[in-house]
Amino acid sequence: MKEQDENIENPLGKLNKEHPFYVPENYFETFADRLKSRIEDEEKSGRKKTLYFYLKPALSIAASIALIVLLINVPLTKFPPSNQGYLSQNQPSKDSVDSDGVIPVELITYFTEGQFLSAVSEMNELDKRKLSPDSLGDYIAANYNDYEIIANN
Amino acid sequence: MDLNEKELIANLKSSGKKEGAFQVLVKTYQERLYWHIRKIVMNHDDTDDILQNVYIKVWKNVEGFREDSTLFTWLFRIATNESLSFLQKQRRHSVFSMNEISEYLADSLESDVYFDGDEIQKKLQLAITKLPEKQRIVFNMKYFDEMKYEQMSQILQTSVGALKASFHFAVKKIEEFLEEDHKK
Repeated sequence: MKEQDENIENPLGKLNKEHPFYVPENYFETFADRLKSRIEDEEKSGRKKTLYFYLKPALSIAASIALIVLLINVPLTKFPPSNQGYLSQNQPSKDSVDSDGVIPVELITYFTEGQFLSAVSEMNELDKRKLSPDSLGDYIAANYNDYEIIANN
Repeated sequence: MDLNEKELIANLKSSGKKEGAFQVLVKTYQERLYWHIRKIVMNHDDTDDILQNVYIKVWKNVEGFREDSTLFTWLFRIATNESLSFLQKQRRHSVFSMNEISEYLADSLESDVYFDGDEIQKKLQLAITKLPEKQRIVFNMKYFDEMKYEQMSQILQTSVGALKASFHFAVKKIEEFLEEDHKK
């Protein structure tokens, strides 16, 4: 049975079993040379691809960082936050605040009015004295009891 | 695997001898591979492209050839897969509403200038284009190349029984196609 399967007679009767296709003249004689030049071309382009392949991650990271910097920097320089603009228009600059001994306005929002006034008076008192280790020790001894000093440490 | 083939494989895997061995490989198998591919895709130009692709794959991957089959089987397997992938791509990239590969093959056959068969041979080829992919390959390998089922089984990685069934159905369908065509 196996023999019969392998040695099939032409199951389609009188049909010609020869394949009716042919190839251009000298096709097989020249095929190896054409193949060789194509392989050489592919290897050249492959080398170029390899260089790009290795540079690609570094280029991607550099481009991403540049984009992030740009996205952060441009809005901050072109469109500053509105409250900062208001302060810069209505309040002295930070430098003048420091040099004039004026408390920065931002700090005021963290205190109630009473806390703010006592802090200012304490600071003014401290300013009046020349700060030395001895005078600081005298100030603490005069204004705080032992319990407050231990609790704050 | 005979001694010559073992030596050829060893040379293909050796960087110093690879190029010479590859030339031998190309010369040895180019015709058989060409006709195997041509029967699947029909058209000469497509066959030429695919055959080159097959050898380029072999050139790039021969170091990884595990030698659990013969070179002949390995090459034929690559050629079969490349040919089928090519037909799938043609179907995907077609701008026409071409649902069947058989339509592409029939067109290729009609436009192929390297066809010199008579009318009945052309009808047989048209009937072959109507077969499902697997049956078409099995029919060509058995009918025209008279390849043994055992060898076909290794190339197509299909059981001998399934191949016999595929060939049987292919013959039946071709007979029906030719009979209907005769009645017209």
